[in-house]
Amino acid sequence: MDLDAMLEISNQCIHSEPPVCVASCPVHMDILGLVSAIEQKDFAKAYKVMESKVPFARLVGKICDHPCEKSCVRQSIGGSIRINELEKLVVALGYVPPKKAFPLPKNKGKVAIIGGGLSGCVAALELDKKGYAVTIFEKSTRLGGSLWGYEGKGLEKEILEEELSIILQKGIKVQYQTEVLSTDLEEYFKTYDAIYLGSAKWNQELNVDSQTFQVEKSPLFVGGKLQVKNSSIIHSLSSGKRAAVSIDRFISKTSMLASREREGVFQTKLDFKIDKVATLQSVEKSATVYSEDEACLEASRCLKCQCNECFNACVHMQRFNVTPDSYIRSINHNERIILGTHHANKMINACTQCGLCKEVCPVDIGMKEIIHATRESMVLKGKMPPSAHDFALKDMQFSHSDYFSLVRKQPSKEASKELFYYPVIAFSAYARGLYKGSGKTGYLFYPGCQLSATHTDYIGEIYKHLVGVIKNKDADNDVGLYLGCCGAPADWAGRLDLMPQSVAKIQQTWQEMGEPTFILACSSCTATFEKYLPMIKTISLWEVFDTYGLPEVDIKKGKRELCIHDACATRHNEKLHENIRSIAKTLGYTIQELEFSKEKAKCCGYGGLVAYANPEQACDFVKDRRQESENDVLVYCAMCKDMLVKGEKRAYHILDLIYGNEQNPNTLQKMPTLSERQNNRKRLKQTLLKEIWKEEETMDTDTQYDFTLHLPEQIVALMEKRFILASDVQKVIDNALKTKERFYNPKTSDYLARLRIQNVTYWVKYEEEGLNITVKDVYSHRMEVVEN
Amino acid sequence: MENQTKEVKWLCDKCQEALVLEKVKVRYLEGNFEVELLKCPTCKMVFISDDLAMGKMLEVEKGLEDK
Repeated sequence: MDLDAMLEISNQCIHSEPPVCVASCPVHMDILGLVSAIEQKDFAKAYKVMESKVPFARLVGKICDHPCEKSCVRQSIGGSIRINELEKLVVALGYVPPKKAFPLPKNKGKVAIIGGGLSGCVAALELDKKGYAVTIFEKSTRLGGSLWGYEGKGLEKEILEEELSIILQKGIKVQYQTEVLSTDLEEYFKTYDAIYLGSAKWNQELNVDSQTFQVEKSPLFVGGKLQVKNSSIIHSLSSGKRAAVSIDRFISKTSMLASREREGVFQTKLDFKIDKVATLQSVEKSATVYSEDEACLEASRCLKCQCNECFNACVHMQRFNVTPDSYIRSINHNERIILGTHHANKMINACTQCGLCKEVCPVDIGMKEIIHATRESMVLKGKMPPSAHDFALKDMQFSHSDYFSLVRKQPSKEASKELFYYPVIAFSAYARGLYKGSGKTGYLFYPGCQLSATHTDYIGEIYKHLVGVIKNKDADNDVGLYLGCCGAPADWAGRLDLMPQSVAKIQQTWQEMGEPTFILACSSCTATFEKYLPMIKTISLWEVFDTYGLPEVDIKKGKRELCIHDACATRHNEKLHENIRSIAKTLGYTIQELEFSKEKAKCCGYGGLVAYANPEQACDFVKDRRQESENDVLVYCAMCKDMLVKGEKRAYHILDLIYGNEQNPNTLQKMPTLSERQNNRKRLKQTLLKEIWKEEETMDTDTQYDFTLHLPEQIVALMEKRFILASDVQKVIDNALKTKERFYNPKTSDYLARLRIQNVTYWVKYEEEGLNITVKDVYSHRMEVVEN
Repeated sequence: MENQTKEVKWLCDKCQEALVLEKVKVRYLEGNFEVELLKCPTCKMVFISDDLAMGKMLEVEKGLEDK
């Protein structure tokens, strides 16, 4: 995979993009850091935040003109955060006298500063810090320039003097009463490597570069009022800082422009949305300055503007505390390391690939494709943890096998003759459909592996209904049936080796059947067909129901309200969303739309095989969904129902409503276990063959054992948690009974047996009473133990 | 893996022997280790408890999978 292209995407993420207040502050003070410290009433920390970007913060904090306030996002919803007032209190409570710094050797060069006003003093301090020998030439008898205009108007004389004395403490030379004119410059250039011009007035027009503040290519740099052309304190201060950077680069002969695009005021890409933010009025001060409590309250009004759209919508990002920028960097590291631990594996296998992040992202970044490509890459490199998707892939192989896989044309007229007599033919649309059999398969009903596993008994009914309604309107086209798995688990697991097999098999069947339209009942199948089988025309079962008619089972008005949990795999399928809503309304239900519905559907936690690779993460998804509404949930994906019900949220599949199986709200909802799912698929195939095609299954579907297995409830729960099938337990016990390869505990009379099946060793502790086996514990390990 | 010894005494049912602590080879992915485990001195069948399988072994498996 192209990691550089992926990193480029991470650079587009605006999660770390500064808020507009910071972007409009010429020195980019960390305003979020400042207000956070104030909220904690840590004023010393708040002062440090100011000081790190603002020289003479003790002065500037009191007189800054605060362009940040003019751009504050809170402005229209209660008023801008009063940074001005907050800073005054921070200076009053948080100021700590600077520690005496160890003087550095000033050997990088000599710089003259013309004008000892704020910008000149700032430039002098910055250059001194960088190791330059600095001399200030000031025409008056004191430093500070226009700062003295604030004496008694916000600044006290003592503090002004104390702060400006820092210049002398640093060892910066000052020559007072020295006026420098343009005609003197040539002389100064002989002595100094660069000159900073910070005077308010100058007797010459200068051509100043707006980026570097350099006058043409000369060693002359201009800041202060002369450059910013206004009386803004903070702009003036910023110009001194920026000119100092230019002077340093000029003297050290490095690039004048590299990485300086965002110096000064810039446009942030962050566009913080306030549509859901409540108005909150500014806190008024009860005295001349805010009290600590008032400041704390005012600071807490700050929205801390940051793009967290995807993070707020996704419990996966929350669990791993990542946003696409940091997420992609972790993936990049994980993909590039050769030796060492792949720390991001767990995270990569905990994404449901649902695509919601992209839906909510203002700049269209989605993790779905990145995660998919990453998993494929991990598999190719042999770095995919085998345990993550092993069970799901084995279950998929089961569905691909003859235990479940089945393709049949509509039963022929010839074979259905016994139905074509009164009263059957009069009352059964199905029988009439068969009677109109054309022999041409126009439709192929493909219920998918999970719906067949969990809603087994509906499949035959649906099939008969489809034959009835479709043949009634479209006599040319028969309806066939295809049981199988679309391969979605292989796709989620990044198994490029398995996916083509699944797809090729479906495509071949489609061609052999005369290219029928597939009737799909599963959202994951729909997504897989769209992605891998675009040549096959598909229609959703729900569209067929909605257009051709519902089974007349339970249609009556005035039923209760249900909230719809849309399936994430079909988030862009508007038609399907409408069909489901229309069916529910026809059946008499009222629909509650959730905030995250349709294209913004949230995953149930099954997607991306997260339910197997990281059950705790899957649980987060269910919990998140569960708390969205008090109402019971209507779903149309079998796995969504499974996940929600397991998460103790009452959920109904649309088929439950169609076939009138909405249970009494007081009864406990239960979903089939992993073993029952496989058995259900087997049973479905056998039942359909027998009842619809009058065929007896010839293959040996069930291994018969002499013993009877008893699985107490807590053992069944343990098996679910540990992904152990009853058929595996049976194999272990069968082997133990036959070979006596087992341990015996004389004290409890329990047996403990093990058997390695493929790549897993299963252990079963059991009690044996004649042919009755009661299981007491089950566990497994993948590690191979060499017994010799 | 030593705490297995504190478990209730299991016997090998086939050989009717008490288990002994011995060095056993275990392997997974790129990892090969020798650890002391309980085994039948005759048929060499190795005993792994639930705690060991779902505890330390699982931890080592996960560690190796992320290597």
